[in-house]
Amino acid sequence: VAKRALKPTVGGPTASTRGRAPAKTGDDRSALFDEEFLKKLEHLALVARKTFTGALRAERRTKKVGAGIEFADHRKYAAGDDFRYLDWNVYGRLDRLLLRLFEEEEDLHIYILVDCSTSMRIGQPLKLHYAMQVAAALCYIGLANLDRVGIVPFSDRLHDRLAPARGKRRIFKVFEFLRSVEVGGVTNLAGCMDKFVHREKRRGLAVVISDFYDPRGFEAGINELRYNKFEPFVLQVYDEREASPTLHGDLTIVDCETGEAKEITVSRSLLEAYKAEHARYCAELDAFCTARAIPYFRTTTALPFDELVLRIFREGGFLR
Amino acid sequence: MTLLAPIPLATIALVAAVLGGLTVVAYILKMRRRRFEVPFSTLWQRVLREKDATSLWKHLRRLLSLLLALFILALLLFAATEPRLGQADPDARSVVIILDTSASMKTRDEGKRTRMEVALERARELLDAMGGGDHAMLLRMDGQTTPLSRFVDDMPALRRLLRDVAPSDTPADLRRALTAAADALHGRHNPMIVLIGDGAYDEETLAAAVWDRPGDDRLDAIDLSGIDVRYLPVGKTAENVGIVAFNVRRYIANKMSYEVFIEIENFGNEIASRKLVLYSGDNPIDVRRLELAPGERLRQIYPDLSGGDDHRLRAELERDSATPGDAEVRDAFPLDDVAWALLPERKRQDVLLVTRDNLYLEGAMLVYDNVRVDKLTPDEYDREAKAGALPPYTAVVFDGHAPATLPPEPTHLMYFDAKGPAAPFRRVRSVRGPRVTEVDPDHPVTRWLVMNDVNFDEVDVLEVDRKRGEVVLARSVRDPIMAAKRDGGRKIVACGFSLAGTDLMMRVAFPLLLVNTLDWFASDDADLITTYRTGTRVLVPMDATAEVAEAEVRAPGGAASRAPLVDGRATFYAAEVGIHTVVARAGGQVLGEMMLAANLASPSESDIEPSSELNLGGRTLSAPEGFSVTRRQALWSYLVLAALALLAVEWLTYHRRVTV
Repeated sequence: VAKRALKPTVGGPTASTRGRAPAKTGDDRSALFDEEFLKKLEHLALVARKTFTGALRAERRTKKVGAGIEFADHRKYAAGDDFRYLDWNVYGRLDRLLLRLFEEEEDLHIYILVDCSTSMRIGQPLKLHYAMQVAAALCYIGLANLDRVGIVPFSDRLHDRLAPARGKRRIFKVFEFLRSVEVGGVTNLAGCMDKFVHREKRRGLAVVISDFYDPRGFEAGINELRYNKFEPFVLQVYDEREASPTLHGDLTIVDCETGEAKEITVSRSLLEAYKAEHARYCAELDAFCTARAIPYFRTTTALPFDELVLRIFREGGFLR
Repeated sequence: MTLLAPIPLATIALVAAVLGGLTVVAYILKMRRRRFEVPFSTLWQRVLREKDATSLWKHLRRLLSLLLALFILALLLFAATEPRLGQADPDARSVVIILDTSASMKTRDEGKRTRMEVALERARELLDAMGGGDHAMLLRMDGQTTPLSRFVDDMPALRRLLRDVAPSDTPADLRRALTAAADALHGRHNPMIVLIGDGAYDEETLAAAVWDRPGDDRLDAIDLSGIDVRYLPVGKTAENVGIVAFNVRRYIANKMSYEVFIEIENFGNEIASRKLVLYSGDNPIDVRRLELAPGERLRQIYPDLSGGDDHRLRAELERDSATPGDAEVRDAFPLDDVAWALLPERKRQDVLLVTRDNLYLEGAMLVYDNVRVDKLTPDEYDREAKAGALPPYTAVVFDGHAPATLPPEPTHLMYFDAKGPAAPFRRVRSVRGPRVTEVDPDHPVTRWLVMNDVNFDEVDVLEVDRKRGEVVLARSVRDPIMAAKRDGGRKIVACGFSLAGTDLMMRVAFPLLLVNTLDWFASDDADLITTYRTGTRVLVPMDATAEVAEAEVRAPGGAASRAPLVDGRATFYAAEVGIHTVVARAGGQVLGEMMLAANLASPSESDIEPSSELNLGGRTLSAPEGFSVTRRQALWSYLVLAALALLAVEWLTYHRRVTV
């Protein structure tokens, strides 16, 4: 199980932005997937292939037995079985009709669930943009490895999805899809995951990219994936100033999703308490995932997305 | 503790009530808070749930903050009452120290310190001797009176002001200084004036002071009733010889020559030998050795001087020592050893006479030695004027001819008997055998002109329009027969009579009329440039500056100032000895420039003999005695400091969220 709380190695809050509210800036996604981004993806795909050659081909051994080439087991012959798979050597030695079973190989299904709630529209850069870039990068690597990759945006409901498909050329559809994803609504992780598992018949890897700011808690949502035989992969994205805001004075804080307002007077001790609370919340998510052998990564938006993706691959948390 | 209460206590109480009320209201009012959007308020709520346990402290610290603000306000208002430790001194005085900074204070007694330096030391001693309850004000006295401070009890601050005090080049105006001091002391407790100076003041002012106003109804009296006036004398030397008058003028008949008038006086008690050197620019043009008896005033006239190219003249007095250079050339008071005067500059003129052989006219032109005369007949003139072949002339005199083609501006024009459509003034009618009854004595053309005995055969009456700036120079009863006007850049003089029909040429008035006219054309009508005295307001006539509101004055020391121009006259205060330059500009173009000389020329200032006693209004002034010292500590500064310290604490605690 890989769990890493990634600290920014480049970027980070600058002096000019320090002290300001986490910016809820314009959601302009036109320049999100530019040529530079594509170059980075190529590089990431190459590095990923070099690192995981052999172990991470598109071929995935499943628990199903069928028409593969690798021997798995024997079973008694039953009427109607294909004679070609009868083990004649065993019949010669033991006089029993046994059928040779092979491990069936199939494509891996990767579902990338991107949180598109209102809280993701906060940060500099927007957490949503960061999440989309990471999602696109993971998509590209998956597509390059001949996996079937689909994208499922969610907030308080499941938004229109990009159906799983394979082939590198699909990446442009992915970009187009991400650019047009509708954003807004409160986070309802449990409800969305419930709908997701019932909608997707094929099980596979479910990468959840979110800030996990769900007033109802994150546990039910992740468990929903686990209980329905998906392999959850948790990627928590947050803005540095969410974790350690530099506020002062008398303020009215307003929840950007629920609109709930609260008057506070920010003191140093209050800020310290808040930072500790935020850290505790992240630690809870971390502990939850660790206890259930779920890969968990935490990152700030200050960390370049390609560095994050490489880190994920180096840690071996994405594909096993 | 005593409260000086410069602001009435009732006012302070009112201010306290208003500001206190506003402070309380400000704390009661709920301030509009900044809105801050957070992505997940649940985390904040969790934190606040824990913090809400301490809400009692929150209320308390709000109250503490209010009390702190009210306390700061109370401290500031208390400081405004000027509280002091110690009792109020009933003998505390209000003292105006008049510092004589007139020219005589530049005297260097016995070759050591100047009187000004000694006077400043006396002033410092006086300030040091003042008690804690005394208030003092510094007044600087020269040609003007300048207050250097208001009434304060901060003696170190007044001492600092004394550092910048320097003597001027102007005589002392004691009347103005005493009047200003008396006005400043009006209504103050135990008023006192201390005059620190050398006593070089005019007797008239000293006699004008009155000590009991109801008994004296003179308008020029200086009312010092109820004021204790003291005098601190400075100075030792009495020996001084100074120039008290210096002027120069050109001769009217021969403007290339000039004469100089210098008046020198020995103010000392011994016979003085001096060398009087007259300079034109930097070139000495005359040296005289003089010996003056004590109190002797010597007038020196230098007639028929013509040397030197510079129009700036300077007279210098030097000690007549046997070996020049080994002794100090100046005496104890060098300011009156140098005097300046200006000579009106002469401008060479090219004049064209358009006449049919008028010998009188040509002969009269010979009077004017700075003029070059050409002559043309009217026909020749018309021919050359049409051909544009006329060389540029300063002025053209038309004798019985009024041509249609005139020389280009700024050639000035003078007409005799101008008839026809091109005449400068329209002819109204003719008068036979008139007498000149009125001549404008103020106009430069008709200045000094006597024409009442001039006979005329016939004259034309001219139409003069005053609204267009045309002026009448001479009248016969009410009829204008001579007139002048400006036409753009040129000046025009017209005489309504023919030179063939008058005996004017036989009179002195004729050459004078021509000379005056040519001088007016050349703006060179001054034969005497007045030498001004420092310490007076100077009125300088500036030609052709009606549309300019301000002139620039450059003092001899190089300092520039502005002088208002009213009715073509610039007015400014001459504070320095030397040559001042007044320039009137419009849009960067120099319209007029005038130089003028200012000299001390004040016998009362040059008489540097110090008076150990001063008799003011019949009362001999004595030196001030020692001031009684009372210890009173002003508290307002500490209170303000305390208020500032509390503000700093409030600021610090506010930003650390200890207070609200």
